[in-house]
Amino acid sequence: MDGTLEFTMGLSEGVAWPWPIAVYLFFAGISGGALSVALFIRFYKQQSANTPFLKASALIAFVTIALGMLCLVLDLTNPLFFWRILVYYNLNSVMSVGVIALSAYIPLVALIALFALEEEIRRLPMLAPLLPLIDKLRPWRRSGEALVLVLALAVCAYTGFLISALIRFPIINTSVLPALFVASGLSAGAAAAKMLAVGLFKEDRHSSDMQILHGAEWPIMFAEALFLFMIIMSLVTGNAGAQSAFEAFHTGSWSMVFWLGVVGVGFGGPLLLNFATGERFSHSSQAFYLSGLCAVSGMMCLRMFILYAGQNFAI
Amino acid sequence: MSENIERRRFLKCLGAGSLMLAPLGCSVKEQTAQDAAPHYVMVFDQNKCVGCGGCKEACNKANNLPEGRSRVVLEQQSSAVAGQACPHCGKTDCDCQRKYVRVSCQQCQNAPCVSVCPTGAAHRDPKTGIVTMDASKCAGCKYCIAACPYNARYINSETDVADNCDFCLQSKLAKGELPACVQECRYDALVFGDANDPNSYVSRLLAVKDSVRVKAHLGTEPSLRYIPIVKLGV
Repeated sequence: MDGTLEFTMGLSEGVAWPWPIAVYLFFAGISGGALSVALFIRFYKQQSANTPFLKASALIAFVTIALGMLCLVLDLTNPLFFWRILVYYNLNSVMSVGVIALSAYIPLVALIALFALEEEIRRLPMLAPLLPLIDKLRPWRRSGEALVLVLALAVCAYTGFLISALIRFPIINTSVLPALFVASGLSAGAAAAKMLAVGLFKEDRHSSDMQILHGAEWPIMFAEALFLFMIIMSLVTGNAGAQSAFEAFHTGSWSMVFWLGVVGVGFGGPLLLNFATGERFSHSSQAFYLSGLCAVSGMMCLRMFILYAGQNFAI
Repeated sequence: MSENIERRRFLKCLGAGSLMLAPLGCSVKEQTAQDAAPHYVMVFDQNKCVGCGGCKEACNKANNLPEGRSRVVLEQQSSAVAGQACPHCGKTDCDCQRKYVRVSCQQCQNAPCVSVCPTGAAHRDPKTGIVTMDASKCAGCKYCIAACPYNARYINSETDVADNCDFCLQSKLAKGELPACVQECRYDALVFGDANDPNSYVSRLLAVKDSVRVKAHLGTEPSLRYIPIVKLGV
C-alpha cells in the first residue's frame, strides 16, 4: 500500500514563518558574528584598550539583537503573550534553549557595550548615571567577555538549529545549517562592524586589526561557500523529497534571490571589488564600504532564501 | 561408560540451568503497565465518506470555534488524469468523482509539535496520551505550525493561540462521549477507540482491514488511520 493516500490541503495558509523571522535570523547572526570576531581579536592580540573595532562591534551587537527581539515579539500572533515564552520552558525545544541563551546574552552584550564605550559615555552628560555602574562591574569584565564569546557563537548556531528542527523541509532540515549560519554570521558581522569602526570610530582602514580581519574574511567566506555546496549536494544526491527541493535553486523567484543575492552580491561582490579592480580602486574607501555592504546584503538574502525557499518545498 | 555419565550430567545441568535462568527473561510487569495506557486512534474510511461536511460543523460547534472554522477539513480528490477521459463518466472535464480525505491533526505518537513547542503549550495529555493544547501557555510563536508535517495546526483567530484536533479531549471526551465528528457521521466513515484494548471495535476493525497512515516515512507515527479506496469503477 505504498503512497495510496496523501493530502495536499492544510489548516493553516501560507508560510508559517514569514519575513520578520528571516530578519531576526539576520540580526541575530550579525550580532553574534560581530561580537565573536571582535572578542577573538581581543583575546588573540591580548588587547586591553577599547579599540575602535571593539566599540563598533559591541554597539552593533547590542543594537541588532535588540532589533531582532523586536522582530520576534512582533511576529507572535499576539505580541502581548511574549512573557509566556520567558516563564514556561520545554528543554526539548530548540527555541526554549535559545531563549535561555538569549536571556543571558542580551544583558551581557549590554555590559560589554558599556565597558567598550566607556569614553563615549563619559563624554555624554545624559549618560552619566551609567558611570558608577561601570565602575562597580569592572572586576567582571574579563569573565564577562569570555562568557559572551561562547554565548555569541551559541546564538549564531542556535538560529540554525532552530529552523533545522523542521523535519518536513529538506532545504532547512540539514545538520550543516548551524555551521552555515555561524560562518555567514561571522563574515557579515565582521563586515558591518568594520564599516562602523571606520565610519564612526575613526579606525584607520589599514590598521593591524583591519589587516587581521582582511586576512580572515576570505577563509570564512570559503567555508560559507563550502557549506552551501554541501547542502546543495545532499539535495541533489538525496531521496525524492530532497531532489524535488533542489528545484528551489533553479526555478522561481527565490532561485534569483539565491544566485543574484547570495552568490552574485554576497560572494561575487567582495571578490570582484578586491581582486578584479585596479589597486587604486580596491584600496579606496568606496570599495571598502561597497564590499562590506555586499557581504551584509548577501547574508540577508541567504536568510530570506533559506527561510522562504525552504518552507515552499515541503516533503 | 564414562562418556554416558558425562552426557547425563551435562543434560541435568542444562535442565536445571534453564529452569533457573528462564524466569529472569520473563517480566510481566512491563506488559501490564503498557496495557493500562490507552492509545486512542481514529479510523477514516474513504469508502464510506460522502463529503457531506457534517463532521466539520459538529467540530465547530463542540469546540466553540470561530464561525466557519473547524479542526478538520475534507479534501476532494480525483484519480482522473488531466486531459484524459474520466474513468467514471467518460467525460474529459467532470466533477463526478466523490473521493474525500480527512485532513486534521494526525495525533502523532512522536509529535514534532510537542517537541518543538518552547512553552509546553502543545503537550501530550498524561492520562490519555492525546496531543492537545494548553491555551494559557501558548505564546503564538507558530513553531508548531512550521514543524507539523501535516499542516494540521492553525491559529485560532479568537484566542490568538495555536490549535489542533485533540479528538475532542477537552469537550466531548471529557464527558465520556465520542468525538463530535464521530457522533455526527451518518455514514460510519469515522471510528474512534483504544487500539491497545484488543476487544475494542477499532482494534478488531484494524485487525481485518488494510489501513494506511499519511507520511508514515517521516517517523511521526500518526494515530489517524485511513482505509483507502483501492479499486475504482467496475
